[in-house]
Amino acid sequence: MTATEIKTDVLVIGGGGAGFRAVIGAREKGAEALLLSKGPLGRCGATPMAGADYTVDGKSLRELGFYGEPLDSQQTFFEDIVKQGFYLNNQKLLEQYVRTAPLRLKEFLDWGVVVARSEERAIYTTGIGMMDALLGQAKKMGARTLDDVMALDLLVQDGQIAGVLGLDVKSGQFIRFRAKAVVVATGGWHKAFWPNTGMRDLSGEGMAMAHRAGAELGNMEFITFCCNVLYGPPHVLGSIASYIFSLRCAGELTNGAGERFLGQYDPNLAYIGTHMEWNKCFISWATLQEVRKGKGSPKGGVYYGRGPVPWSEWERLVSPTFPNWKYKHIDLSAIVARIREGGTIEVGPAVEYFDGGIIIDEHFQTRVPGLFAAGECTLGPFGANRVCAATTEMMVHGAEAGQNAGAYALEQKTPAPDAAGFQELEQMASLPLTRTGGPAVAQVRRQVQEMAHRRLGPLRSEAELNLLLDFLQDVKANALPRLATASKSRRYNKEWMDALELANLTHLLETAALSALARTESRGVHYREDHPYTDNDQWLRESVARLNGGIQISSRPITVTSVTPPKGVKPYLEMLQELMEGHSAVGGHH
Amino acid sequence: MSQKMIAVKVFRQDPEAGTGPSFDTFAVPWQPGLSALDVLDYIYQNLDSTLAYYDHAGCALGICARCTGKINGKAGLLCQTLVEGDLVLEPTSAERVVKDLVVDRGGK
Repeated sequence: MTATEIKTDVLVIGGGGAGFRAVIGAREKGAEALLLSKGPLGRCGATPMAGADYTVDGKSLRELGFYGEPLDSQQTFFEDIVKQGFYLNNQKLLEQYVRTAPLRLKEFLDWGVVVARSEERAIYTTGIGMMDALLGQAKKMGARTLDDVMALDLLVQDGQIAGVLGLDVKSGQFIRFRAKAVVVATGGWHKAFWPNTGMRDLSGEGMAMAHRAGAELGNMEFITFCCNVLYGPPHVLGSIASYIFSLRCAGELTNGAGERFLGQYDPNLAYIGTHMEWNKCFISWATLQEVRKGKGSPKGGVYYGRGPVPWSEWERLVSPTFPNWKYKHIDLSAIVARIREGGTIEVGPAVEYFDGGIIIDEHFQTRVPGLFAAGECTLGPFGANRVCAATTEMMVHGAEAGQNAGAYALEQKTPAPDAAGFQELEQMASLPLTRTGGPAVAQVRRQVQEMAHRRLGPLRSEAELNLLLDFLQDVKANALPRLATASKSRRYNKEWMDALELANLTHLLETAALSALARTESRGVHYREDHPYTDNDQWLRESVARLNGGIQISSRPITVTSVTPPKGVKPYLEMLQELMEGHSAVGGHH
Repeated sequence: MSQKMIAVKVFRQDPEAGTGPSFDTFAVPWQPGLSALDVLDYIYQNLDSTLAYYDHAGCALGICARCTGKINGKAGLLCQTLVEGDLVLEPTSAERVVKDLVVDRGGK
């Protein structure tokens, strides 16, 4: 069997917004560029499901003709994001985010994105609208695309990127890609957790393969859990629709004992923390405190209702976001009826965004020559807690990562990859098809996902992280090497794909758990019950995970440009309150 | 506590292995708010892991349309069709079956 071979200058892995902006960027430099989309073109990755906001400083937004805030500035916006990120932000990457966000919005408008409304620091549109604009522009720029192709591994030769092994998921045949530069834009790894808020494809293979190829992963312990996510019924499990309800109308959150609980932690936080997207961090934390006290709902969450807010007021605030009470095409009418009648719905934290990821420099390059990364899969600009838009991140990253990869590829004389290198990767990837017996892939995955949700959630401790790590060691030693598909046919073999994904998910979980164990403080979305202080003396550092036989965790100082972080050690909630109070007077949700 | 069970009849065909077309029937526990896609997830995870349906990158939000299938004879989105009782699930086009419920939609 001869595998298909495809040659390009720049190969972009990932069919969400960052990937599309990157493939356009590579074409802008005149390089040949090909994008691999794991699922349907323009309809996979996290972008299409985004609400979606796009954040820019208020002054630039006003200058572009939107509501904005003329008293805002890029520096004020920058400083607010540093506070939201608990000072852990890479300030160089953040400067790039703030500086280029208006340019990327302007081009988005030129490419056909329609703005529904705007506020101080954000415009609101739809994720689908963004993807359609990017699809159109990519086509216009002559970018090639392949859909239903999953990237399996990177091929590094003579210390540089030489190719990528892909899998055509429909036929089950391998594709060998020869490329001078690769941009990884595979988004998050939501599939490692259950429940989760992501699309079905987000399994972090780009991060795992970059790690195997020699890139570093950083700040992997910072995992944002969205609060107030629907915990049922099955067809909406993990939907953030109820979070959006709570953002439009805070209503009332009650625990399993029927008590309003947010105020007891801090009335100020309860107010600010429910009126800004900062609430994800605070409410997820408070919800799990209730669960820890035995006051959670049966599924480990709490309850959302409109409380004392009259139905007419709730409807006025919430309904404009949900035409016909639909979120995308999900019918929410039964859930809304319950709220109208004064009832409550069961909600709780679920994994939503990964603040850490592949370590890149300000050129979006990793330490592997020719390997670039963009978007959520990177260690980006948000530090310990993201409040501003990831859709802005995908655009500002994608554009420059793609352009830099394009420029790099045009200068390189990359040797043709050895067939032997591909053959070895193909053999490894085929193992689940050749084995028999072994544990059921889906069952192992569900155990891993539930364990991750329980032990690597918003509240962590040494004891629980060690339980998770022991469990993962057991999976690595006893389950992964034995995973076998029941069907040996290569065509759309779901179980084969799941087996390949599970190895990546387990690896990322282990990296994150080890990073969380090493960080003996509480900051942003990482809260250690056994270290409930933000330690600005010891821990204004980024975690760094290298793969060298095993996973090695170390740390490095944060990158500071204009905002000097504070010193001292503070209780977590005190630090959170100080940061929220230090936010500028610019209004809106960011 | 006896949970209501539904009978789910699913189209099967693997052109590569030369098996099918045929139908398999599975008994699946029912609860309110269960979609046809949830039913397939249950079968794949608990009863028959050789079953193919478009799952590796679907949206489950009703926007990507890759899970389009025939549900009790009517075309619809598996992820947005709530199940009330016994079920027959088929691909929309018998000629373009990749495997079971996965159909080649002529990607770009």
